[in-house]
Amino acid sequence: MSEAAKPKRQDANKEYGAEDLEHLSDLEHVRERPSMYIGDTAARGLHHLVYEVVDNSIDEAMAEFATMVQVIINNDGSVSVEDDGRGIPIERHEQLSEETGREVSTLEGVMTVLKFGGKFQKGAYQTSGGLHGVGVTVVNFLSEWCEVEVYRDGHVYQQEYECGIPVAEVRRLGSTTKVGTKTTFKADTKIFQTTKFIYDTLQKRLQELAFLNQGVRIFFQDERSGDQEEFYYERGIIEFVEYLNRASEALYREPIFIEDETDSVGCQIALQYTTEFTENVHSYVNNIHTTEGGTHVSGFRSALTRTLNSYAKRTNLFSDIVPTGDDFREGITAVISMRVPHPQFEGQTKTKLGNSEVEGIVASAVSEHLGKYMEENPKEAKLIVQKGILAAEARVAARKAKELLRERKGALSGGGLPGKLRDCSSKEVEKCELYLVEGDSAGGSAEGGRLREYQAILPLRGKIINAYKSREDKVLANEEVRSMIHAIGAGIGEDQDLEKRRYDKIIIMTDADVDGSHIRTLLLCFFYRQMYDLVDGGHVYMAQPPLFRVKQKRKTHYVQTEEEMKEQLLENGLREAVLDAGEGLSVADKDMERLCHCLAAMEEALLALERRGVNLRTHAERQDVETGRLPVYHVFFGRDEHWFTTRAALDEFLQEREKEAGQELSVSDRPEPSSNGNGDATIATPKIHMTELHEVRTINSQLKELTGFGFDIQALISQDRTGIEGARYTLRRGESEIGLEDLRGLLSAVRAAGEKGLTITRFKGLGEMNAEELRETTLDPTNRTLIRVTMKDATAADDMFRVLMGDKVEPRREFIEKHALDVRNLDV
Amino acid sequence: MSAQRCPACEKLFLSAQSSAKPFCSERCRQIDLGLWLEERHSVAVRPDEKSEEEITLDF
Repeated sequence: MSEAAKPKRQDANKEYGAEDLEHLSDLEHVRERPSMYIGDTAARGLHHLVYEVVDNSIDEAMAEFATMVQVIINNDGSVSVEDDGRGIPIERHEQLSEETGREVSTLEGVMTVLKFGGKFQKGAYQTSGGLHGVGVTVVNFLSEWCEVEVYRDGHVYQQEYECGIPVAEVRRLGSTTKVGTKTTFKADTKIFQTTKFIYDTLQKRLQELAFLNQGVRIFFQDERSGDQEEFYYERGIIEFVEYLNRASEALYREPIFIEDETDSVGCQIALQYTTEFTENVHSYVNNIHTTEGGTHVSGFRSALTRTLNSYAKRTNLFSDIVPTGDDFREGITAVISMRVPHPQFEGQTKTKLGNSEVEGIVASAVSEHLGKYMEENPKEAKLIVQKGILAAEARVAARKAKELLRERKGALSGGGLPGKLRDCSSKEVEKCELYLVEGDSAGGSAEGGRLREYQAILPLRGKIINAYKSREDKVLANEEVRSMIHAIGAGIGEDQDLEKRRYDKIIIMTDADVDGSHIRTLLLCFFYRQMYDLVDGGHVYMAQPPLFRVKQKRKTHYVQTEEEMKEQLLENGLREAVLDAGEGLSVADKDMERLCHCLAAMEEALLALERRGVNLRTHAERQDVETGRLPVYHVFFGRDEHWFTTRAALDEFLQEREKEAGQELSVSDRPEPSSNGNGDATIATPKIHMTELHEVRTINSQLKELTGFGFDIQALISQDRTGIEGARYTLRRGESEIGLEDLRGLLSAVRAAGEKGLTITRFKGLGEMNAEELRETTLDPTNRTLIRVTMKDATAADDMFRVLMGDKVEPRREFIEKHALDVRNLDV
Repeated sequence: MSAQRCPACEKLFLSAQSSAKPFCSERCRQIDLGLWLEERHSVAVRPDEKSEEEITLDF
């Protein structure tokens, strides 16, 4: 083509393009400014050399001339890349020979003339890659030495180069059955800051290439270490997505795959959603990782949003919140691989696709194929849409949280504190305390009774809402939450700064009733979740307000727990108490005290036994005559019932039965039904069902104590005393006498006696205490009891909260059943 | 290293890997905060529990 025939161009540079001058300057230019061709001369550029050579082999494979690519890091630090493609032609190249005036082979052209590839086979590799499209020539130019072997037509041909210049003509080495090309090069230390190839870097890219070029087998070997790997993916980018999601939980098993070709633009997309929150989209154009995205990515995104939205609307999956594109990309893992004949790369690192026609091509491919997938897979479609809705809800919640906190800042700017806070006067954080008090009336008492200098009061109230039909729920009002955050001053979440806290102790003070326990659970849970550092630092406490006020003449004292109250009454009642058991037997003083403690220890066990449905009167009949012990083991052998007091007796019984049966006995979860109606129970060996009555151990040991006082088990059971005058037992204390029919009533009788002369008030709530009382019992550091909330307490509160939460009825029931024994203590 | 369950998304995560404890991520913490501020973190008040208050002390 002559210059004259061309239309006039603005590009004046072209006029200097005398061919041989260009050839000469190419090598110099590349070696002088390597960064223009390969990005940089650091590790990234160095590894890029390998990619350029590998790209040629991949092209050969994608054109279906080659099936494998082998990459070897040799011991001397050089790299060999070999494929089994057609092999670079070694014949004389007409045009080039004419231009240079000497015999030049195509191979030499490929290796020494920039942009030569396109000249010898125009349109051969329509979509050939290579980040800068500079090819193997640049690799040769930047190598200390380079050697190419071509296996073609049954022969091996070879040519060597030093710093890009051929050492000799192409030589024929001998015969071979192989086909393909093998390029070995040693990066020039004069050019590169480092010439050490890194295994992991090459491995990552080679694996990526294997994913992107379905069916191409890539061997990788490092002779320096002996490491080697093979990459081969029959399902291409589908496997890429699976690989990317290997550590995540996928929403559905098989990635969605989209494949399309329009106007020579090929498009492959694989996508799968996981439970993660991040968007993980990898896009490639002609094997180049387009890290800056571009038209293919934007086409994908818009079509994804549109398709999912229209599907969800049509199938009525949306309620109130409509997810945005961002929401629909939460948790997505996608690989987009494009083949674009004439890619235009833009952006800082030239990794952004600019071809505008690609956007529409990708968008319509996604709309069509994804739409079809959704129709055909309604279950997966629903999961995907729901994931988007969840993301939208999360986004809205997070935004609202930010807004609400900002509102707080606005409303309280100028250092203002919440209106309800009664702050302390001191600014010495180490000494200051904040009482979070349940209820306004208690708040009033607390305000009156506090030590104004160091104690601040913030009254809080649970707010009742009707969240669900026919049920009430209790929440911490928004205002309360904000007041708390602001009063404490240490911030929440990411912005937590313990140094900024305004108090050293945050003390939760709630009533000892169900309401109080709800508020306490909510508060503990809130602190644990949103003010983790505060709990972790040991700054959260629980006050222990008293449960009883006890007045005796002029003296008043307070009692905190029910157990303590009982203990005090017992102690009181025991004073000067005498038990008259008739027949000259009486118990008094120290013995009386020991007897009561013995009975107290036994009572709980007796109640447990009775809860099992075992009657004490009946069980007493099974008492072992010699030892006086009650049986602990309850055994059913088939339908026969047996009782044993010791393990040894039980084992003996079992061994005997086993011997009779001639086989190991099988154990059943429940006793056999009392009758099967057919009388064929003899056919099978009866099954064993066994229950151990743990509480009887306690009863037995206390019974032994009881004999020390001259009582046996019958003393615990009321007797038929028809015709006998007077009570069986009499409790005497001073003037008073109380008659008893069995000893189990003794404890309450003693306590009742102990109550004489006392006025006991049970506080229903903090509000029933006046300021003076509250100060004396709960506020004044010299008298009060505080419980520091540990991380374990807080975690437990969080667990509690989760089961007490309104919408999870089932786990709540399970939880309470599981902890049936503890449940009494939960609210205390 | 110990794992714990995120109160928001209920996923198990390694305690050491989260800067938003006890949540797995700052995002989950924010969601939870939103629920507090919107008064959606509630404890059910049950009729059967109300009657518990009436329990009298039996000595």
